[in-house]
Amino acid sequence: MAARSNDAAVRIEGLGMVYPGGVRALAGIDLEVREGEFLAVLGLSGSGKSTLLRCINRLIKPTEGRVFIFGREATALRGAELRALRRQVAMIFQQFNLVKRHTVLANVLSGALGRSALLPSLALTFPAEEQQRALGCLDRVGLGDRAASRADALSGGQQQRVAIARALMQEPQLILADEPVASLDPALRHSVMRHIEVLNRDEGLTVLCSLHDIDLVARYATRLVALRDGRLVWDGTPAEFDRTTFKEIYGEEAEPASNTGL
Amino acid sequence: MAAPTSSAGRGWMQRARILAVDWALIVIAWMMAEFLLLAFTGRRGPTGMLLTAEQILDLVHYWVAAAGGLVLAVGWSLLERVIGASPGRSLTGSVPADEKELPWTQTLRGWFAAVFIELTFFTGWLITELELVTFLTKFGKAADIVRGLAHPSASVLHEGMILLVQTIFLAFMATAFAIPIAFVLSFPSARNLTRGSAPARIGYLVSRTVMNFVRAVEPLVWALIFISWVGIGPFAGVLALWVHSVAALTKLYSEQIESIDPGPMDAITATGASTLQVLRYGVVPQVIPPFLSFTIYRWDINVRMSTIIGFVGGGGIGYILKPRVDLGEWGEVGTLVLLIAATVWVMDILSAKIRERIV
Repeated sequence: MAARSNDAAVRIEGLGMVYPGGVRALAGIDLEVREGEFLAVLGLSGSGKSTLLRCINRLIKPTEGRVFIFGREATALRGAELRALRRQVAMIFQQFNLVKRHTVLANVLSGALGRSALLPSLALTFPAEEQQRALGCLDRVGLGDRAASRADALSGGQQQRVAIARALMQEPQLILADEPVASLDPALRHSVMRHIEVLNRDEGLTVLCSLHDIDLVARYATRLVALRDGRLVWDGTPAEFDRTTFKEIYGEEAEPASNTGL
Repeated sequence: MAAPTSSAGRGWMQRARILAVDWALIVIAWMMAEFLLLAFTGRRGPTGMLLTAEQILDLVHYWVAAAGGLVLAVGWSLLERVIGASPGRSLTGSVPADEKELPWTQTLRGWFAAVFIELTFFTGWLITELELVTFLTKFGKAADIVRGLAHPSASVLHEGMILLVQTIFLAFMATAFAIPIAFVLSFPSARNLTRGSAPARIGYLVSRTVMNFVRAVEPLVWALIFISWVGIGPFAGVLALWVHSVAALTKLYSEQIESIDPGPMDAITATGASTLQVLRYGVVPQVIPPFLSFTIYRWDINVRMSTIIGFVGGGGIGYILKPRVDLGEWGEVGTLVLLIAATVWVMDILSAKIRERIV
């Protein structure tokens, strides 16, 4: 694993985002995520969770504030430097975002694009050792036998595991997961979350994961923050989270689902 | 999300846009109303004949309409609280929520739209000189042609078949040569890929403008240009259809790119891939099937267009069709038209089958 400074994995200072249409999605976010943490981000739809995660790997350019990743200011980077930084930060999406018409293996290999030579990669070819590595990543998510299938032939849960293998292929130090299990059948959620947990616990990768299921937060996260209307309204451990804080985040009308144990 | 914040600058722009749309609509309605008024008062010219539509168009007071329309448009924007949202506000999508729910008969802009549509139909009827009676009673002259077409003559069958082969290949070559150029141009012509930087936005504007211009010029005109360039024959036809196909395919391709799922692009961007890699992995796989489908459809269109191109000397079956139409050899025309129809029919089925497979 690459050498790291003593800095926090992610440090966010005064982050704000106003979309071109004039809609404010984030305001005055200050947050520090320590290395190795599994941070869950909670909040209603539209509270700014996705925007926050996307500002970190600069899929979105924030309009205010600064983001530091392992001590480097992500918000100041452009071009090749920005791409080099993105290689350290893998992202997992709610809709998996696989290239549906490519094979499972090709999808995993695309995780290596950041370090691949341009011309061969445009011809969809990768060196033998990358192919071996990709097969290894697939094995780790239990899909070694599906390498040659087309991505859209897989079930939702399997597709998300391919996306995790792609993230793994990237050899990142930080994982951003944006509602990774929200479009999966509830019965399959743990099968995906467990793989993310392994990356966090066994590989020591820092994970920032937006979730809306309190159960999952309690089970997997080591720390949890909550957003409401683009502002950070809560920061603590899952153990400190109770019915009152739930109402603080989701509003007076909200009720936790009956099986959350709150 | 928090409440939208709208700065003063945007508000001013929006008002200007609404006023411009209102002005244009009211002026057009005003001019059509005056046209109809002049037409129905039965004015006669110096020779005592009723005025033609073209002569009436000459009498309409355009400047008065422009000035009056401006006054009414400004008036509407000032009185908006009393008489309701204007058509311009409606078309720019900023009608207040409580007014949106009213049925059209209870809003002034609803009535304006209804009157506007009526005016357009009446004016259109007069300007295009529709005459139902003539249409229904004077079929006789055309019957000869129809009779000829229904009795195709075999004398041109052989020559027709040979030129039909030329037509199909002509359309094929034009389409094939258009593909790579349209493919490359479709990326800078897609709005969703060109928001990022100033050069990309300029590329978008240039590419779109040039392609719209090229597409606006009929293939027939391109044929005339290329005939004087490379001479009469199928090569001129290929070039004419090629130029037009590049523009048409660029538009179809780029619209397809604009409608892709941005998710895979985000995912590939997030791996640290470069722009070309993002296009190759995030965009191209999504657009290949529709591109193929559009291309086959374009070939189909080019077969049909090459007939007309042939009329002016661009090769293909149209080349022998034209003199027979001029001479009134309706039997032979019938044969050629049947050949074209059969080809178009087969192409249509084939392209539908192939597209079904791909998508």
